[in-house]
Formats: sequence, C-alpha cells, structure tokens
Amino acid sequence: MAHAVISCLHANLAAVEAVLDDIDQQGIETITCLGDLVGYGPQPNEVVELVRQRAIPTCQGCWDEDIIDGLNACECSYPSQLAERRGHLAHQWTEAQMTADNKAYLASLPTSIRRDKLLFVHGSPNSQHEYLLPDMNAFAALERVETAGAETLFCGHTHQPYVRELRGGSIRVRVQHHDSSSSEEQEMTLPMRRIVNAGSVGEPRHGNTQATYVIHDEATGDLTIREVNYDVAKTCQAIIDAGLPEVFAWRLSHGFEYAERADDASHVCER
Amino acid sequence: MSQTWLISGPPGCGKTSWILTTIRSHPGPCGYLRLSGLSEDGLEQGHNAGIDLAWLRDQRPQLQDLSQSDQQYADRADDQLNLIELQQYRPPTDPGVDGIDPRISNQLKALQLEPDRALHFGREPELPEQDTLEFNRLEAWNLSLHNSVWDPNSLSSFWFELVNGAYGDVYRAKALMNLPDGRAFFCNWIVSQQGSQFLPLERVEPPTGRPDRTSELVVQGKALDSNGIQSTINDCLLSDAVLDMHQAPLREQQPDLFQAKR
Repeated sequence: MAHAVISCLHANLAAVEAVLDDIDQQGIETITCLGDLVGYGPQPNEVVELVRQRAIPTCQGCWDEDIIDGLNACECSYPSQLAERRGHLAHQWTEAQMTADNKAYLASLPTSIRRDKLLFVHGSPNSQHEYLLPDMNAFAALERVETAGAETLFCGHTHQPYVRELRGGSIRVRVQHHDSSSSEEQEMTLPMRRIVNAGSVGEPRHGNTQATYVIHDEATGDLTIREVNYDVAKTCQAIIDAGLPEVFAWRLSHGFEYAERADDASHVCER
Repeated sequence: MSQTWLISGPPGCGKTSWILTTIRSHPGPCGYLRLSGLSEDGLEQGHNAGIDLAWLRDQRPQLQDLSQSDQQYADRADDQLNLIELQQYRPPTDPGVDGIDPRISNQLKALQLEPDRALHFGREPELPEQDTLEFNRLEAWNLSLHNSVWDPNSLSSFWFELVNGAYGDVYRAKALMNLPDGRAFFCNWIVSQQGSQFLPLERVEPPTGRPDRTSELVVQGKALDSNGIQSTINDCLLSDAVLDMHQAPLREQQPDLFQAKR
C-alpha cells in the first residue's frame, strides 16, 4: 500500500491544496505530515485547519514548537542577522494571527511518529532543529537512523527532497584492557538504512517553485519524489495583502526560502 | 608633457576598471577626477559620492585627486597622466575632444583641465565593448553608509536579492561596504555580467569601532523600491554592541597592538 509523506507546509494554503489534490488523484489514502505547518507564509490558521479537517497524522516541526513555546531557538539557527530579523518578524506575525484552538493543536503534536520500522520526524530523531542535509557525513547519518531503531527515517526541515541509501555500514569497537596489552575488537555490520527527505510543500528550495512530497510503497519499498505545480502568484499576493515583507513574496516566487537555512547540519539547539 | 584624457561611457561599461588598469601600467604620477555628468531625458545620473575615487586611491595611494583646488596645474609633473571619468549615456556627436559637451568643458576649465584625448566606450575600438549597454530609461538611487558596518552573511543575502531583482529592475549596482573585521569590499555588478565582483580594499582598518572611510551604495535601474532596499539594509547593519562582540576577539588576539591605537 502506498502512503504519502508531506512536510514544511509553512502556511502556504495554495501549495497544500495542490499537493493534497495530487495525492487524492492517485488514490492514496494514508498521509503523514512532518510538521512546520506554519511560519513565514500568510495562511497559518487555514493550513492548520485543513490538516486537522483531513485528520492527517502530524509531527511537530520547529516552527510549530516555537509558536507554542516562544522564540527560544539559539541564535545559530539563523545564518545571518537579516535572516534572524525576518524570522522574528514572521514569528511575531504568525503568533498574533493564530487562534488559541489552533495553537493548542500545534502544542498537542508529537515530535515523532513510528510505524513499525518507519520513523517520521521533522528535523532528526534528536531535534526538530537539526538539519539532515543530503551530504551529511555518512557515519553521522547512519547513527541517526540506527540509534532511533528505524530502517527508514522520513524527515523534512531542509526543504530539499532526497532519498539517501546507507549501505555497507558497520560499527567497529576496540576495547583495550588496562591491565593487559591485549585488545578485543568487535564489528557489527548493519543492513541498509534509508533517509528520506520529503522536501517542502510550502517553501521549496530545490531549484524551482514546485511543491514537493514523497510517495512510499510499503510493499515494494519504492520511493517517489513528486513535484506539484501550484498557484505561486496567489500565495505571493496573500503575503503582500497580509502585510508581510514583500521580499518574502519575491523569494517564494523564485524558489528561494523566505529567510535562509542554517549552514551547520550537525547543529542541535541546546535549550 | 602631462596628458589629460576624458573617459566617458554609460553606467557599468567598465570605465573605472579600465582607468585602474591604465593607472597601474603608467610609470609616472597619475591624477583622477570623476565628473558628475549630465542627466538626459529619462536617464538619471547616479550620484557616485566618491566610491570610484576611494577605490582607485586604495589601489594606488599616490593617485592625485584632481577635484582638490590645491592640486594646481603648475604642480603636475611632465609625465603625469590625468584621467577624467564621465558617465555619459549617448556617444558624443563628434569624435575626440571636439565632441565634449560645452557644459563639461566649462567644468574642466574651472579646474584648469583641458583634455588631450576624449575616449568614449562603445565608439573607440581600444576600449572594451562587452559591457557597454544602451539605456532608454534609468533611475538612480544612492545611500551613504558612512560609519556603517555590515553583518557579513547579511551583506551577501542583501546583495543577492538586490542584483536579482527583489527591489526593482536593477541594471547597475556599485558600493563600498565595511565588515566588522576591518576589511572593506568594493562590490560591483552590471546586468550584462553573470556574477558580481567583490574586491577587498588593500587598507584594513583596526577592529576598534566604526571605520571612518567612504562607504556608499549606488543603484541604477527601473522601478526601484528604495524603501525596501533601505529597510533590508537596516536589518543588515550592526549595532555598536554587536560590532563590539565581533571585534573583541580580534583585539584580544593582538592586545598590545590595539591597546596603543585606542
């Protein structure tokens, strides 16, 4: 049975509607959402309500967490002062727009969803703020999947969709006894693990403006990254009508993120 | 005999770069002057505010500033080469010095400058042509950034947005920008080029506060969103406290040096 994985909706209603239509047209009934329903985009309540109405199982993203807990991510989540100022402005605007009911919904979301050997998270099993970038060190990537007890890890957060297969992984441990010169070595060979990044529905940054999501066929293991056209101009106009900075609309219309992603893939925000 | 050349051409054609190359290859002393130029129908002159002079003097510190009244003609050496830069959209009607607009000639006479040659980009084959564009309409906007220091990553984002059209159709952008570590960059972009030039100035200021040197942005294009540019710049410039946070570790690396200069 095929299921769809969506992530990083970012309050972009036109993009979410287009992706859900695409999923429906393929007869897929199971959808999992990896969070960041809100943030930067102009329709936070509408997007949350649509996800709730469709009863889509959803993880909490870093933006969802920050809207509930307040801005407490460390400064290094932002790669520049400009990105930080824009992020804070978007946070304040979103926080002021959202209804208490929708905030309560975001607060109720789990940080991960597990289905047998499939694990669904926003950033990584360690944190909603950690970026698992496609070129991340293979050992570190394997460690994230293995220690979480998953065979396939579905994540988002980077807004770049990818499927990464980690083959031939092994962990070698050498124990040196303090009272002898002998040492003991153990090696564990790991079966193939996968990291699947669903990209972003509402704020793509994979080189064009199309919304992305992933289809996973559980029977065959096949993974398909889907790209979906949506009415970008409609969302851009909504950004301007909402009084958000016009440069957000310009960036979205060119396939750039509203602010910028953090460069440090291994960074985990410590609170 | 000293020589005086008038170098004219539309925005971004490469006047300043050509002048720098010429200055570097001239064995004798050199002088430089940038005239403000004449606006034409729908074609506004960019207020350069010393960017070109500051950049050229950084590269060639002995360069004489010909706009200064104390640099009298009599003081000029026999082998001196004076280069006068002029932004001029349309080619002169006549070739050579005969084609110089009388209003420009009068400005030069007041400074005791009389060109021996007049070279216009797009007409003289000895000047490069690849960036010489024809403009029909052009707005200009400039901002003094004196004493301002940029967050480096924010400068990179801002410049990317500026030259890619986030604030209107920008055809030309030029700036001198200060960074917290004391370096400054000459930022240069024209629509005909693939990427921007970011050239570091030779002179590095000590990391002891705000540098007191020319810092300016000039933008030329159409439908420029000056409020948007200004608003983004405000989010990119460092406050005193953040600037000090950047500079304190640099001072700590060489405490004796900076103790004496403060």
